[in-house]
Amino acid sequence: MAKIFLISKDTNIESLIKTNIEDLDCCTFNDLNTEWDFVSNIKEQKPDLIVIDSNFENFGNYLKLAKTSTIDDNNQIILIANNKIQKEYITYCDGLIQAPFDNDVLMTTIKSHLKIKKNFDKLIASNKDLSKSLYQINALYNTSSQFAGTLNKDELCNIMLEGLNRILSFDIATVLIFGADKSTVMHVNSLCEISKTLMHALKMRLTLKYNNVFEDEVIPFDVDFDKIKLIEKIKPSNNIYDLKILNYDTLFAPIKVGDNFFGVVEIIKKEPFTNEDVTCFQTIVHQVALPLRSATLYEEIKETNIKLEKLEKLKSEFVSIVSHELRTPLTPINNSLEIVLSGQAGEINNDIRNFVNMAKRNVSRLSNIIEDLLDLSRVQTGKLEYRFKKSLIKPSIDLVSETFEKTAQDKNISFEVNISEDLGEFYIDCQRIEQILSNIISNAIKFTSSGGFIKISAEKDTLPDDSFVDPVDIVGDKYLKISIEDSGVGIKEEDIGKIFDKFLQIESSLTRNIGGIGLGLAITKQLLDTHFGLVSVKSQKDKGSKFSIYIPNYTDSLVFRMDLAQAVLKNQNIDFIYIRQKENSDFVKNLKEKNILKRIQNSKEIVINKDNYEHYFVYLPKLEESAFNFMVNNIETEIKNIEASGQKCGILLETATKSQFKKIENLLKELIRGNDE
Amino acid sequence: MSKKILIVDDERDIVETLAFMLKQKGYDVVFAYDGEEGLKLAKEEKPDLIILDVMMPKINGYKICRLLKFDSKYKDIPIIMVTARGQAQDIAIGEETGADKYITKPFEFNELFETVKSYIGE
Repeated sequence: MAKIFLISKDTNIESLIKTNIEDLDCCTFNDLNTEWDFVSNIKEQKPDLIVIDSNFENFGNYLKLAKTSTIDDNNQIILIANNKIQKEYITYCDGLIQAPFDNDVLMTTIKSHLKIKKNFDKLIASNKDLSKSLYQINALYNTSSQFAGTLNKDELCNIMLEGLNRILSFDIATVLIFGADKSTVMHVNSLCEISKTLMHALKMRLTLKYNNVFEDEVIPFDVDFDKIKLIEKIKPSNNIYDLKILNYDTLFAPIKVGDNFFGVVEIIKKEPFTNEDVTCFQTIVHQVALPLRSATLYEEIKETNIKLEKLEKLKSEFVSIVSHELRTPLTPINNSLEIVLSGQAGEINNDIRNFVNMAKRNVSRLSNIIEDLLDLSRVQTGKLEYRFKKSLIKPSIDLVSETFEKTAQDKNISFEVNISEDLGEFYIDCQRIEQILSNIISNAIKFTSSGGFIKISAEKDTLPDDSFVDPVDIVGDKYLKISIEDSGVGIKEEDIGKIFDKFLQIESSLTRNIGGIGLGLAITKQLLDTHFGLVSVKSQKDKGSKFSIYIPNYTDSLVFRMDLAQAVLKNQNIDFIYIRQKENSDFVKNLKEKNILKRIQNSKEIVINKDNYEHYFVYLPKLEESAFNFMVNNIETEIKNIEASGQKCGILLETATKSQFKKIENLLKELIRGNDE
Repeated sequence: MSKKILIVDDERDIVETLAFMLKQKGYDVVFAYDGEEGLKLAKEEKPDLIILDVMMPKINGYKICRLLKFDSKYKDIPIIMVTARGQAQDIAIGEETGADKYITKPFEFNELFETVKSYIGE
């Protein structure tokens, strides 16, 4: 219905309008008390058209008022001019009719202006709809792009709820989400506080609705009503929602992708939802389902990983226990065979001797395999003890070559050792270096036939260009390279990459596919890794092989990194490593007295013999983070700070200078990065 | 008079084969299958040398070794400790407890024999 305000003293005009236009509410003002009256009438009744007659007293004022108080509403103003009108007034009106006028002219003018107003209204309405849609699309887009950012179910749920709130501005939203361990979480977001009974009702209602989703089917997860974990996000407010709110309009949907079901969501709002709201709601709920599926898979993978790690540990422990058990009977077997062989238990003939010898050979083979298995499992579990010391390497090389020289000569293999006296000192575990050399040299002898040669040499060298060493592990450019060259059977090109692979070696030592080279090389590689060294091999099938081992030169930073790596390896769960000079134990004593160390679980002390180390207090919980942000002299406050900030990592120094700290910090950063993989 | 060797090991087969071989080499051999018995025999028999296993019921090898080495009456008896190979920690403890020599299992009899010979002769 169109509404017209007529301000005129001419009653004919009103009757004229009323007879000519149907469906009209025409209000004539011929006796206005105040201007204020007029304005408030306009504001209240929002007329579509105002017709002002210039025969009215002070019509100019009313014209101005009509224009200014309806500026946003696009109402039309028509002025009926009885005599010449000032130009100024014309600017205030949308239409002008000069008296004397034909009745038809007046009516068509009024009609066309009503039409204009009507069209204006339509335009504004559709504009409003458009901008609302635009806002919703924007919010939808925002929300869905946020979904990609996380694999945490609670976070996903929060993003969904925030999105829904932005788009639909609900009063209360409730979500049931199922955890990996079938636990149920209920998120409740609300604009106001929620009464106890309402909270209970909401829980009950959502659970029931959830069950109703699967009316005739099997319910994927049983919801244990009493065990639902509640996550509330409630805006503090003076109002409290009570059960009345359940009469509001609601939207409900299950969150699922195909057959994968993740939960249900319901939102409650005082104003009824529009069709667009329903679409938006469904879109968002649909969009959260996919990332929720990823999150679920991610949770499962994480759990599987933990299980695998446990299994791997169990496996290593199992191998270790079984090997110990297998080894024990070998000693008496060996002894008994020796007694028989020695003839002390009675005369033996040649056949007996041959067979007993055969048994003895195989006992020693068996015992070697067991030792290798044990070594490998120790290396893997970090149980292998290293005794790193600054030592000369020459005696170790000499010892091993002397041991094997005779074996080689017995096989008629020329054995050449060409090593200078002044190789210098290295930070090594001599026993392990000997083990490494023995592994390689014994293989060389085993696979070289009579008339061949073995050459052992040593020289200073840089790492080979084609070596795949993590840059973090490179401790300097100077290495000692010890090479063992033979004229043996060589290794097929495609097998070269495999010979250090522990799994392949375990397999092959059992099936003897690659000629039973045993686990020795796998162990060798692991032992060299701990030395921050490297083993490389060049080989040609049927021509021979050249194994080279690289051992880094002695430097302070190498010593520090090796000690730290060992400490970390042995104590996977340490939170803090404290490194101190041997002579100075006051620092730790102080910490203990002040009860600081107690607050840090799993602390580990490393004593370093070098006197140029200052006190370092290193915090490395499970090597998860690599941020080292702390360097202060006041340990106590700093530990408090770390605890308070929940920082994962920190390094604390007692007396180190800034430049020393920088050095250590870099070392640690590298170390952590190296161990992260 | 032949030299007397005490073997202490809970592995009876090891003790028996070792005893047999050492007897063949002309030594007098006494043996025990657990730490308590071993310690008793060490004090009663006053052997010229003791071959001692580490992991044993009742009293372990380290403890026996320490008890004997800190007792002036017995501290001069050479003790050869026998243990599983490759545990540097064991060896370190062994050295601290004052064992004269460390042999790791599994060992060749000749290796043990050479060691025995170096302490008390043939």
